[in-house]
Amino acid sequence: MKGNLGEKLQSLPKPILYLILILATSIPLFFPTEVPNEPVESTKDFYATLMALPEGSKVLLMSDWTGSTRGESKGAFRSIFKILIRRKAKVAIYSAADPQAPRVAQDAINELNMERKRKNLPTFDRWNDWVNIGYFPNAEAAINGIANDLKGAFGGRKDFPPNSPPRDVFQSPVLQGVTKVEDFPLMLVITASKTSNFAVERVSGRTPLAFAVTGVMVPETQVFYQSKQIVGYCGGLKGVYDLEQLMESGVNFPDKATGKIKSDKLGTIEGFPDPDNKGQGTRYYPTLHYALALMIIMIILGNVGMFLAKRGDKS
Amino acid sequence: MNYDLLRITAGVIATIGLYSVLWKENKFYRFFEHVFLGLAAGWTMVALWTETLKANWWDKMVGTPAETGSVATNGMYAYALLIPFGLMGYFVFSKKHNWISRIPIGIILGLWSGQQIQVWWNTYGPQIDATLKPILPTTWDSLIVPSTNGLTPEQLSQVQSQIYFSQAVNNFLFTITVVSVLSYFLFSFEVKNKAVKGINTMGRYLLMIGFGAIFGSTVMMRFTLLIDRMHFIWIEWLRDGVFPFISGR
Repeated sequence: MKGNLGEKLQSLPKPILYLILILATSIPLFFPTEVPNEPVESTKDFYATLMALPEGSKVLLMSDWTGSTRGESKGAFRSIFKILIRRKAKVAIYSAADPQAPRVAQDAINELNMERKRKNLPTFDRWNDWVNIGYFPNAEAAINGIANDLKGAFGGRKDFPPNSPPRDVFQSPVLQGVTKVEDFPLMLVITASKTSNFAVERVSGRTPLAFAVTGVMVPETQVFYQSKQIVGYCGGLKGVYDLEQLMESGVNFPDKATGKIKSDKLGTIEGFPDPDNKGQGTRYYPTLHYALALMIIMIILGNVGMFLAKRGDKS
Repeated sequence: MNYDLLRITAGVIATIGLYSVLWKENKFYRFFEHVFLGLAAGWTMVALWTETLKANWWDKMVGTPAETGSVATNGMYAYALLIPFGLMGYFVFSKKHNWISRIPIGIILGLWSGQQIQVWWNTYGPQIDATLKPILPTTWDSLIVPSTNGLTPEQLSQVQSQIYFSQAVNNFLFTITVVSVLSYFLFSFEVKNKAVKGINTMGRYLLMIGFGAIFGSTVMMRFTLLIDRMHFIWIEWLRDGVFPFISGR
């Protein structure tokens, strides 16, 4: 590497930079720490909406994430299901963005069930507690069908009752009595793509909407939240971390004066302390700070290098 | 044989293979890229049949036998008419007959266009409504919104019905941002008026701040995905998979 210090700083070999990044995102994973955090209003509202569901409520869930956004979406999915299981909700799952999404959702629920089995807790059973309605190509047309003719859209879809051949999803306890989208007191969208926009276009005003989106989607989702088109959302890794802390501490719980997480807008919402609440968000969020710090240092070094190189040219 | 460990090991090798492109383009990377594309294409084809075409078209066309809890359904062979209609789309590859493909495409476009008025209003109506915010305070009792700790419901609703100075400032900033950004687009022809020019420039800077926020959250997301891969390799595979396997736990 020839040239003055400025030129050297600007031309660090890329493999070295990648190696430093890999170290910065690996080493902190072995040393779990906690980052001070105040959950944002949108996640508090998201949590409050889930916790306000009456026991046994039927929830429609559009699960549009796969392995490519596992780092963010899986954490959100797991936290949401922990809350839904606690509320004894019945969940109808469908996907419209990726053919792999139904299988990914199914695997994530199976993983949760294995953990519950190990702790001797009742499992969240397919058919009785949740149904996998499957994949619908063309997200926009699919959600239009669901909004206008739910029976027609889900008609003919089958899922597996325990130890039986597949049966019509409308025979499952999850969808019994459901004829239109308004019969669901909440529609959840866990997505890494634009399918959340389609939900706003077609379903907003018909039933409350709440989203769990990836970090890159936060700015556009914030617009829907501020205009009250959605009741709340959990955005990116920060949203997952918020949700895990809300599960642990609740809001204004046990009361506003002593509660760890406070809100003027919301009443008392209970938390349910459990070591298992600390999941992907708690594990990844501190590490993200190391990666961001590295990026800031590299930007500063690059700028210092440019300044020094320019000064060297002038002299 | 520990199949779970084998499965995760395959995932780790694929992850390293795909990241190896960071060093340079190589055959190891190419191999896993093609494996990934092949798996995704194969999965999609099967899913399209099992999860969509069979339930939404084939079963409705040929009918279904009686099963536990459900009665038999008669086939409706009119669904067969969808085959030539769908095939018309493939005429897009013919130079001579590609006009045929415009028929199904035109119908789809027509159906889509017809819905856009409602879609537009559902998307932007509430946003326009939410943009109309009061920019003058209605009370000077406090400059910021007072704490609602220990208030009765009546007192709480009274606090919530007021616009405090801090809220008014927020709303003013919001309104200025909306107006200046809109003016940046509305007056994107030669602007001579100095005041409008200033507002346009402010709109451009505010847009840049917005793009910065979007870029920031995108970077955070990409880092999170990398952290997840590192967790997969070091924790799920090495710490929780390989080490216990070697030590026989």
